Amino acid sequence: MNSFLRKNMVMLVAVFIMAAFLTAAAQGMEKQDFVITLLRGLAVGSITFLVASGFSLIFGLLDVLNLAHGTLFMIGAYLGWTVVVRPDTFVDLLTPLALIISGFALGDVYPLLASRIRLGLSMRRFLPWGLILVSILLLGFILPRYPIAIWDVENYAQSPVTFAFMADSGARLPVQPAAFTEISMPLAVIGLLLASILGAFGISLFDNTPRTVRLSWKNFVSIAVALVVALVGLIFNDQLSAYLYSLNSNWLFFIAVLVATLSGVALGGLMEATLIRPLYSRPIYQLMLTLGMSAIGIEMVRAIWGRPEFVMPKPAFFNGSGEACPATNFADWWANHCSTILIFDGRVRVYNEIFIPLVGLVVLISIWILLQRTRLGMIIRAGVQDSQMVEALGINVRRVFTMVFALGVGLAALGGVLGAPSTGLSNVMGESLLLNALIALAIGGLTSYPGAALGSVIVGMIQQFIIKYGQIGIAIPFTDIIFKPTPPLVPASTVMLMVIVLLILPNGLLGKKE
Amino acid sequence: MKTFFNSNRGAFITLLVLILLPFLVGLFDGASPATVFINGSGQSKFIQGLAIEIFILAIYAISFDLIFGITGMLSFGHSLFYGVGAYTTGIAIKSFGLPLLPTFGLVLAAAVVQAILFALVLPRVKGITFALVTLGLGSVFHILVMSSEFGPYTGADVGLQGVIVPAFISPANERLRFYFIMLAVMVLVYLVYQRFVTSPTGRVCVAIRENEGRARMLGYNTFYFKFVALLLSSFTAALAGFFHTLYQPIVSPNVAGMGFTVTALLIVLIGGVGTLNGAFVGALVYRLLDYGLRRYIGESASFINGAIYVLFVLFIPYGIVGTWRLKSLQIKQGWDRLLEMFGR
Repeated sequence: MNSFLRKNMVMLVAVFIMAAFLTAAAQGMEKQDFVITLLRGLAVGSITFLVASGFSLIFGLLDVLNLAHGTLFMIGAYLGWTVVVRPDTFVDLLTPLALIISGFALGDVYPLLASRIRLGLSMRRFLPWGLILVSILLLGFILPRYPIAIWDVENYAQSPVTFAFMADSGARLPVQPAAFTEISMPLAVIGLLLASILGAFGISLFDNTPRTVRLSWKNFVSIAVALVVALVGLIFNDQLSAYLYSLNSNWLFFIAVLVATLSGVALGGLMEATLIRPLYSRPIYQLMLTLGMSAIGIEMVRAIWGRPEFVMPKPAFFNGSGEACPATNFADWWANHCSTILIFDGRVRVYNEIFIPLVGLVVLISIWILLQRTRLGMIIRAGVQDSQMVEALGINVRRVFTMVFALGVGLAALGGVLGAPSTGLSNVMGESLLLNALIALAIGGLTSYPGAALGSVIVGMIQQFIIKYGQIGIAIPFTDIIFKPTPPLVPASTVMLMVIVLLILPNGLLGKKE
Repeated sequence: MKTFFNSNRGAFITLLVLILLPFLVGLFDGASPATVFINGSGQSKFIQGLAIEIFILAIYAISFDLIFGITGMLSFGHSLFYGVGAYTTGIAIKSFGLPLLPTFGLVLAAAVVQAILFALVLPRVKGITFALVTLGLGSVFHILVMSSEFGPYTGADVGLQGVIVPAFISPANERLRFYFIMLAVMVLVYLVYQRFVTSPTGRVCVAIRENEGRARMLGYNTFYFKFVALLLSSFTAALAGFFHTLYQPIVSPNVAGMGFTVTALLIVLIGGVGTLNGAFVGALVYRLLDYGLRRYIGESASFINGAIYVLFVLFIPYGIVGTWRLKSLQIKQGWDRLLEMFGR
């Protein structure tokens, strides 16, 4: 008991202070306000946690401070929005993407091919660049002519804002059939396939290390899957779009979450393998690289989806209205799917304040299980402590690095798509959330997983309570003054808390001492 | 004397070009040196303005290079130094009506205060935690500047405007004088920095960057050396901020934000980390690139900026000056070979 106290003293003190803070906060407001603010704090904390946990896993294992994490969170949100509001764009994109991937899926075939070809020295130097150039030219020729249903940022009637507004009010657009008008279909398909094969071959030629290559069935399965997806997307394009449009918004939302998370995973893996990996010997440059990636990501989002903010429709499951709403208890809610529910006579939005914290809890527990109960988790935990030692034990740490990076970015994208219906989409959502996540991690301990959760909840709570008290004001004892915290105090308070915590405990609340 | 000139040939030629620049541009534009001298409007005045901006950026970037490139402390709150300088100047002149000299004294005092603020944090946190704490301090200042409570002084999110600059240094009417003052300040800052880095104190700072534990084992109290570097850096950045307020009609709150720290990082990276000269080259390239891209491409300029940033990190990690120094022998050999080819 005594040793338990000593080991977890910081945590106990933190929880105690948190409890004292909550009790103090409860004195000044009504019961229902308190409950709503508590739930809102949990919701903000959950979204922050989804970003912060991935960030801390990446930082702990790879020692990479991924400052592009907020931008990837934002990209996840925008991708999810695209699937929900414009499924036909998503379907149209499937075929070209699958075709491009299929060239790279061949993977091990290229070294085999390269070892068969004898080349002169100058040819060997020139060939990869030439192949990549040809590939880029082909892509640049075909992709703009490929029929992809897209909005127009410049034209207001066709802009994402209008589509978002229409989707939110329940109207659906008619499906535009994808017709190959500017380029013939066989030419486009074969050209894309050729471009991807040439590009992948060119890239593989850079790697001159001799090694034995064995082709495994996995290569053929992956390329077969990619080609089948491409063909299905090509042939049943209009039917798929129509099907997605006719789909229940719950299922569409589910697909959006899936697509955004998987895209995040793919983006993360790609980013680690191509950009981060060459820089492990120069850690500070990795940091600068992620900064640059973040700037590029924001600009891409601005170019594709435009600058104005817009909303993502909530799934119908959480968006019911009518006679019986707001629901008074959960059975009632389940029957009517109301968008709000009454708790202590306060209206609580089900999606924002109950569903999101629940998802956060589920992710918290599942990642915890992954870390504590699986072999991969064991490797990650060992790698956080000493990755060289793990490598010396014969474990392919680099592969685990890629997986953890992909997982972290996937979590951020999941956070983005979940947060989009409640907070809306904007160009700056990534930066502000990254700052929140950084503060949460600094408070909780940079490499500590429970620390990420604790810090996120603390940050969310403090911000929401200060916002609430900004509305109702704090009566300062023994005086008549009512103090109303102003909006700038919301970020400033958490930043100050971070500075104070770091000055007292440089490793954060739950971080291990070096 | 001759060897001194020879070994610093590049520096002297650059200085000469910079002194003659307003008149040369004037000549190309068809304006006589006399017109340039009385600040007639024209291409020369515009180029002077661009050059002044580059000088201010370079002074700011070199101050970042001192603590990041030379001493090896990664600070994400560097824009605080610049922002405090800029806002102190603006508020002192506009709201309190102070003359220029006391304002300058106030800026220096503010620079000492913020260096002490950072130094309080220094012994407790290292590496990435230091970066986070400085980020926190920087964003608190940014938030304060943006808040509506201080609006009458700082202008909140619109920015500080309407600062009445003394007539003898006014950037609108006496731009040539402003240009030469900026040039002199920049040269002075460069000489001080060069002297500092080659001094024993500066050498210890480099040692701290390379291996702080070993520097401490050798008996140096690394805290003092870091503090001196911070102090000098803070002075210089506040100086840049001081001139920023005098030159720009509006002090936007962006200069106190995280983005402006990233600008310093980008400039230093383009020029070469830890090279001092790199800050000048980087500022030149950065500002011209930014100007050119914004003019000919428009809003997506920062996309290309980001791409250049990534390309530099991946392929030219030592920056322009750093790569030049590394490869100078090869470049010289190649040059000789070229001359030989044409000589024969």
